[in-house]
Amino acid sequence: MLTVNHFILLSAILFCLGAVGVLIRRNPLVMFMSIELMLNAANLAFVAFSRYLNNLDGQIFVFLILTVAAAEVAVGLAIIVAMFRARENVDVDEVNELKG
Amino acid sequence: MLDRYGIVAIFALLAVIFPAIPLLLSLVIRPKKPNQSKKATYECGLEFEDFPEEAQNVWVQFRVQYYLFALIFVVFDIEVVYLYPWAVAYNTLGPFALVEMIVFLGILILALAYAWRNGLLEWT
Amino acid sequence: MLISPELILAIFGMLVLVVDLIGRARTREWLPWVTVLGFVLAFAATLYIWGSNASIFAGMYSVDMFSLFFKLLATIAGTMIVLVSIDYLRGRTTRQGEFFSIFTFSILAMTMMASSASLLMIYLSIEFLSYTSYLLTGFLREDKKSNEAALKYFLYGAITSAVMLYGLSLLYGVSGSLNLTDIATAFANTVDPSVRTVALVAPALVLAGLGFKISLVPFHQWAPDAYEGAPTPVTAFLSVGPKAVGFAILLRVALTTLPIYQASWIPLLAVISIITMTLGNLVALRQTNIKRLLAYSSIAQAGYMLIGLVGVNLTGNSPFSGLNGVLIYLFAYLFTNLGAFICVIAIENATGAVNIADYAGLVRRAPFVAALFIIFFLSLAGIPPTAGFIGKFFVFGAALREGFLTLAAIGVINSIISVFYYFAVIRAAFFLDAKDPSPIRITPLVTAMLTVTAAMVLLIAVYPQPLFNLAAWSMGMFGVVK
Repeated sequence: MLTVNHFILLSAILFCLGAVGVLIRRNPLVMFMSIELMLNAANLAFVAFSRYLNNLDGQIFVFLILTVAAAEVAVGLAIIVAMFRARENVDVDEVNELKG
Repeated sequence: MLDRYGIVAIFALLAVIFPAIPLLLSLVIRPKKPNQSKKATYECGLEFEDFPEEAQNVWVQFRVQYYLFALIFVVFDIEVVYLYPWAVAYNTLGPFALVEMIVFLGILILALAYAWRNGLLEWT
Repeated sequence: MLISPELILAIFGMLVLVVDLIGRARTREWLPWVTVLGFVLAFAATLYIWGSNASIFAGMYSVDMFSLFFKLLATIAGTMIVLVSIDYLRGRTTRQGEFFSIFTFSILAMTMMASSASLLMIYLSIEFLSYTSYLLTGFLREDKKSNEAALKYFLYGAITSAVMLYGLSLLYGVSGSLNLTDIATAFANTVDPSVRTVALVAPALVLAGLGFKISLVPFHQWAPDAYEGAPTPVTAFLSVGPKAVGFAILLRVALTTLPIYQASWIPLLAVISIITMTLGNLVALRQTNIKRLLAYSSIAQAGYMLIGLVGVNLTGNSPFSGLNGVLIYLFAYLFTNLGAFICVIAIENATGAVNIADYAGLVRRAPFVAALFIIFFLSLAGIPPTAGFIGKFFVFGAALREGFLTLAAIGVINSIISVFYYFAVIRAAFFLDAKDPSPIRITPLVTAMLTVTAAMVLLIAVYPQPLFNLAAWSMGMFGVVK
C-alpha cells in the first residue's frame, strides 16, 4: 500500500539527485536540467500532499510551477544563447571575466 | 448502455480519420523525389553523409535559431495548461472569464508580435 | 481599486512595448518618460489607496499599510533609476524600449511581492522579480561581463528558488494551507511533534530563496559578480529593489506565520546577521572595483537590517520595536545606496571608469560628485548627520532593548570597519593626484538625481519625524507577537 510517505520519500530522493547534479556538474545546460529535477521533486510533493489533504490548492500550485519552469527555461536558454554568441563557450569554470 | 459505446466508437473512428486525412492528402499532392537519405531509417531530412568528418559524431552543433524557436514554442506550449481547465470550467465561469482569457492571450500575442518584429522568427 | 498601482504598472509595461513596436525613432525617444509617468501614476495610486487594509483574491493578496510602504519604495526607486539610466543606455544599447518595459515589470513584481500573503503568490512574485532581474543584468548582450553576470545570477537564483519551493511544499504539507495566516493557525493548534520539526526545517529552506534576494551570507555569492557585470543602473536597482521586497516577505512570514517559533528562528537569524555583516565588510576591504566594493557593502548592509528583525518585539509602545527599525533603515538605505550608485554612474558615463584607482583627483575633476560621495559614504557607514545613522540607531536600539548586546556590539564594530573601505574611496578622490586632470562633465539629469538623493539623505537626518510616522503606520497591521 502506497502512502503519502512513499511519495514524499521519492520526492526527497529526486530533490537530492537534482541538488547533487547542480553541485557537481559544470555545464549550465546540465545544471539546468538538474534544477528542473528539483522543481519536479517539489511538484511531486505538492501533488502528494494535495491528495493526502484532500485540498486542491497544491495541484493549482503545480500548474503554476509548470508554467514558471517554462519561463525559467526561456530566460535561462536566452542567457546561455547570448553568452554562447559572445564567447563560443559555456563551461561555467571557464567563464571567469568576473572575480575578486 | 449500447449508445454510450456508440459514442466511444464514433470518437475512435474520428480519431482514425482525423490524422488519416492529411496523410492521404499529402500522398496525393506531394512531389515524389525519393533519395537515399530520405529512405533511411529515422530519416530527418539532413544528409548525414555530406557532413564533414568531424561533425559526424552525435555532438553536432545546432544553429542558434533552433533554440530561439524552441524558446517561443515553449511559451505557447505551456499556455495550454491554463487554457484547458478554463475550457473545461467555461460554462460555470461566466463572461468575465472570457475577458480574462482574452487579456491573457493578448499579452502573449503582444510578446509574439514583438519577437516577430525584431526578426526572431526569420531563419537566416 | 485596491490593485490600481499594479494595474497601472502592468499597463505601462505593455504600453512601452507597444510604442517600441510601432513607434518611429523620434517617438521612442519618449519611452523613458512614459515609463516615469507610469511610476508616478502608480505612486499616486498607492497614496490614493493609503490606509486600506484588505485581503483580496481569496486571501492571497494583502493590500495593507505594510505592503503600501514597499510600493512607495518600489515606485520611488523605479523613477530614479529610469531617470539615471537614460544617459547610461545611450550608445550602449539600441533596444531601450525593451529595457524600460522589462524594468517596469520588475517594479510590478516588487509591488506584488510586497502584497503576497500566500505561499503561491510569494513563489510567483519572487520568480517574476528574478526573471526580470536576470534579463536586466544580461541586457548588454554583446558585453561578455554582462552575460556572464546574468548566467551566474540565473544559476544561483534558479537553485535557491528550487530549494525555496521545496520548503514551501513542506509548509503546505504540514499545515494544509497556502495562506500565511491559516498556516499560523494550523501551527498553533497542532500538538504533533513532527509538525514542529518540519515547521523548523521548511522555513530554513524558504530562507534560501529569500536570503538570495536579500543577499544574506551564505546565499550571497552571486552578488559581487552580478553587480560588477550588470549595467550600472541595474546594479543600483539590484542593490535596493530585490533586497527591500525580500525583506518585506521575510518580515511578513516571520511575523504572521512563524511567531510561535520565534525562539527558534531568532538565534538562526542572529548568526546569519553576524556572518553577513562581518564577511561583507572584511571582503569589501580588498576590493579595487567600485561596483564590487558597493556589492560587498550592500551585503553588509543586509546584515545590519537583519539585526532589526532579530530584536523584534511588538509588545508595548517602545520606539524600538525592531520592525520599525528595519523599515526606517530600508528607506534611508534606498536613497543612500542609490545616491552612491548614481555617483558611480556619473563618473562611468563620462569616463567609463569603475576602478577606485580611477577616482584619483576626483575632487578637482568633478567636485560635486566627490562631495556627494562623502555624504553617501557617511550615511552608509552610519555616521551622523545622515539618514544611515537614523536607521542604524533604530536597529541597534532594538537589539539592545532585547538584550542582544554582543550582536549590537558586533554591528558597531562592523560599522567602524566599513569606514576604512569607504574612506579608501574618499582618499583617492581627495588626496591623490589625477592622471588625467580634465574636468568630468555630469549630465543635467544625473546632477538632478544626485541632488535629490543627497537632499533626502540629509533631510531624513535633520527631520526624521515623517519617516517615523510612516514606519509606525506601516507596521500597524502586525499583531502582538506571542
